[in-house]
Amino acid sequence: MVEEPEVNLVGPALEEKNVRREWLRLAGTASAGAILFLLTGDTKELYAQSKEGDLGILSAALYLEQEAVAAYQAGAESKLLPDGILKVAAAFQSDHKYHRDGISGVLKSLGVEPKGPEKKYDFGRLDSDKDILRLARDRENGAVLAYGTLASNILTKPVLNFGANVLVDEVRHRTILNSVLGIANY
Amino acid sequence: MSKHGQTNLETVSRRHMLQAAGFSAAAGVAALSKPSAAMVRYEGDLAILNVALGLEHQAIAAYDAGANSKLLNADQLKIAVSFQNDHNRHRDALIQFIRRFHGTPVAPKPSYDFGPITSAADIVKLAQSLEDGAMNAYLANAGKLENREILNAAVPILEDEVRHNTVFKQLLGMDVTGRLKY
Repeated sequence: MVEEPEVNLVGPALEEKNVRREWLRLAGTASAGAILFLLTGDTKELYAQSKEGDLGILSAALYLEQEAVAAYQAGAESKLLPDGILKVAAAFQSDHKYHRDGISGVLKSLGVEPKGPEKKYDFGRLDSDKDILRLARDRENGAVLAYGTLASNILTKPVLNFGANVLVDEVRHRTILNSVLGIANY
Repeated sequence: MSKHGQTNLETVSRRHMLQAAGFSAAAGVAALSKPSAAMVRYEGDLAILNVALGLEHQAIAAYDAGANSKLLNADQLKIAVSFQNDHNRHRDALIQFIRRFHGTPVAPKPSYDFGPITSAADIVKLAQSLEDGAMNAYLANAGKLENREILNAAVPILEDEVRHNTVFKQLLGMDVTGRLKY
């Protein structure tokens, strides 16, 4: 997968010692069978369940995550965000990278080479911090709607669990961006 | 999961096992040997729904306690009322599903002990803690639901709990940039 050029926005503080790291490590180094065993203990079952619809959902989700990473990147590079908001944006971008990498790892483990990201995204004019926050908020809102709609179509339990956690992050992001923009959360 | 939730889960499971036994006897050998879609009772889903319902009852009671304390200012009260409305809606949806799948919805407890409430901050802390618990309960159980329609209904409820939790965390000055471990 081609990495987009990125400013290093994120410090090392975020928790990395978890199942996902092991998951990704295995995805990068081990056979598909090994990672599937890690996920469910039953490789045949996971293959049987995942091969069809879930792959489409994962590919769509990956596109959204790549776009979100790029949107936060555009925001950071604009230099329009004050430090406090930049810190939050960096944390949110880190979440989206985490989602992206998790989804890419699952796709690879299922024998599908992840596509993207786009070489360039057109986010329109970004003339103020409000423009960036609105852009981010709209991306988060789209992600909430997408994950909320797609979640119940996911057949593979580990993928569903991952997707539910991603949805939690997207709702959290949207809620905070709403607050900053003065959009009611209640 | 709370002790209250576990108790509900055990009670509900036992009751459903007994109900299922009675149903099987009445339905006869033919039906037993060839289960139809109509017989699928989603016992596991029903147990999860009833645990969730117990949490919704508890949340509604907590918001009542907060509102009745007269400690909340107008803005805080507005949030509390809105969030309690969400929980009322969740409760009604859960009850509807439980009945549709021939379960028995758990009733609210006669009373809840929320500890001393002497300030608005106490109420916000209580509400945040309950919302956090509810969010984690829905998150932990979403993948266990067998019925897709129930899962469809649970997803927007999870979204509400995350939103509530995040709003309260902001009010309390808690970190809102950390993601859960997964």
